[in-house]
Amino acid sequence: MRTCFCLLIFVFLGLSCGKQGDILKIKGSDTEVNISVLLVEAFHAQRPYPQLSVSGGGSGLGIASLMNGLTDIANASRPMNSKEEALFKEKNIDIVSLVFASDALAIIAHPSILLDSLSVEEVKQIFKGSITDWRQLGSRDMPLTIYGRQNNSGTHEYFRKKLDIEFSLYAKEMNGNAQIIESVKADKGGIGYVGAGYVIKNGKQSDHSVKILKIYTDTSKAYSPLDYDAVVNKQYYFQRPLFQYILKSSYEIAKPLLDFERGPVGQKIIATNGYFPIKE
Amino acid sequence: MNSTTRVKINDVFTYVFRASGFACIAILIGIFIMLFYNTIAFFGQIQPLDFITATQWNPSHHFGLLPLLVSTLLVTLGAMAIAVPLGIGTALFVSEYTTDLAKNVLKPAIEMLAAIPSVVIGFLGIVVIGPAISHLFGLSNGLNALNGAILLAVMALPTIITVAEDAIHAVPPTIKEASYGLGATKWATLRNITLPAAYPGIIAAVMLGMGRAIGETMTVLMATGNSLAFPTGFFDSIRTITATIAIEMGEVPFQTTHYYGLFALALILFLITMAVNVLAERIANRIRKFQ
Repeated sequence: MRTCFCLLIFVFLGLSCGKQGDILKIKGSDTEVNISVLLVEAFHAQRPYPQLSVSGGGSGLGIASLMNGLTDIANASRPMNSKEEALFKEKNIDIVSLVFASDALAIIAHPSILLDSLSVEEVKQIFKGSITDWRQLGSRDMPLTIYGRQNNSGTHEYFRKKLDIEFSLYAKEMNGNAQIIESVKADKGGIGYVGAGYVIKNGKQSDHSVKILKIYTDTSKAYSPLDYDAVVNKQYYFQRPLFQYILKSSYEIAKPLLDFERGPVGQKIIATNGYFPIKE
Repeated sequence: MNSTTRVKINDVFTYVFRASGFACIAILIGIFIMLFYNTIAFFGQIQPLDFITATQWNPSHHFGLLPLLVSTLLVTLGAMAIAVPLGIGTALFVSEYTTDLAKNVLKPAIEMLAAIPSVVIGFLGIVVIGPAISHLFGLSNGLNALNGAILLAVMALPTIITVAEDAIHAVPPTIKEASYGLGATKWATLRNITLPAAYPGIIAAVMLGMGRAIGETMTVLMATGNSLAFPTGFFDSIRTITATIAIEMGEVPFQTTHYYGLFALALILFLITMAVNVLAERIANRIRKFQ
């Protein structure tokens, strides 16, 4: 009985010492998890060391895990907020932040909608809930249903801040990008926003049962997230940087991976999978 | 094996079983304390009265329980309205109106229904029930309370049928035979003798089914649309307490008002489920006493 107990304690000790080992943990944003996995796999093929693990769960979870020492790198599709920064300071944890890619949000609608583009102002009115029928936008009579992410995902927060609105209470909150796409496909009056990586593959639309709408502002012409150059040149309206926050103590181990991600090979992987490279 | 070893083995197992019994209670108490502790932290920042009466849940500034509670009750009551008649009817059919052979096939088949993972049922809600509802009622989409209620009814059915059938089956054949002996028909016996005698068990069955429906998360999360507007009917998209916790827990910043608020929701859910179970127990006991 007693030996058993001692053994157990040793196992726990061994686990808690794992930080000194060569496992690098990456955790966070669901938007980034796909691309992060692809990058890590390509990196791992080149050099088997250190061991890497990638998981999703959301930007907030990633940052919280970083704070509690449960991960070495936090993926975040939003910058850290002031509360989180204060907590890191309070706990005396040093972190390094960098941007490794950018992401565009695609506004998608059912293909039967008679519109190809929307102005930013119209998008605002729609997601605020002031426009409730497609007729108001010049399409057929059809009640408009909003599909979005849950109200504290990084994507939701980005969208709300970028448009500077409070979301309509009637917006349906779906659990992930894939569910938004499925719902918009099924709903003749559906509109929603998803990460471009979920509808674009190799620069082409990967799923033609939804329509990707072009977006224009007062001063620019209509750009689609399918237009690679427009996004890279920051002409498309709904785009954002993708962040990685790294523990300073793990930075040395992580550096080869981080350099790889920002290097030519990494940036090419990013570009071919529906995300966009950073422009220096 | 001599007697001292046998006594020793006996002692060891006494401790093992006692420890497992205590562990179970300790876990329950531990969970309750954790919920309670975090809830107190929440009420340090938000007035309890505001929490209970506010009509909007929007974690950037409004923490209102009411829309979530109403959603939960709406979808649960809807599910019960579908599952109770179906479940009790099925239980009566299985125990009274069918042959032993059919019963031996039917009961395991019904219990198999309980083995379907909730995420699969939720998926059916998105791809089958949702489009069917939107087609049938001329709505643009079928992600609403009715969809959730139908799916929860399916999930509560196995519990209701199994427990109710056991209760009906447990009615002693002698009192039924006495009724037949007095010339009563099968239906009269069922209505006046068997059902009243099985009543406590049937109530327990309904309550257990309800407990299952209230606590279900994945299915309602996937099928009801989760919009934050105050629900006004079965065609509205709703957001239950369970779905709210599941959606928001993943990304909530650690130890903020919002984080504590989710624990407060969890405590409310815990109290509701406990109340349902205690109530089921008490009703069952009281009726048993009258007999």
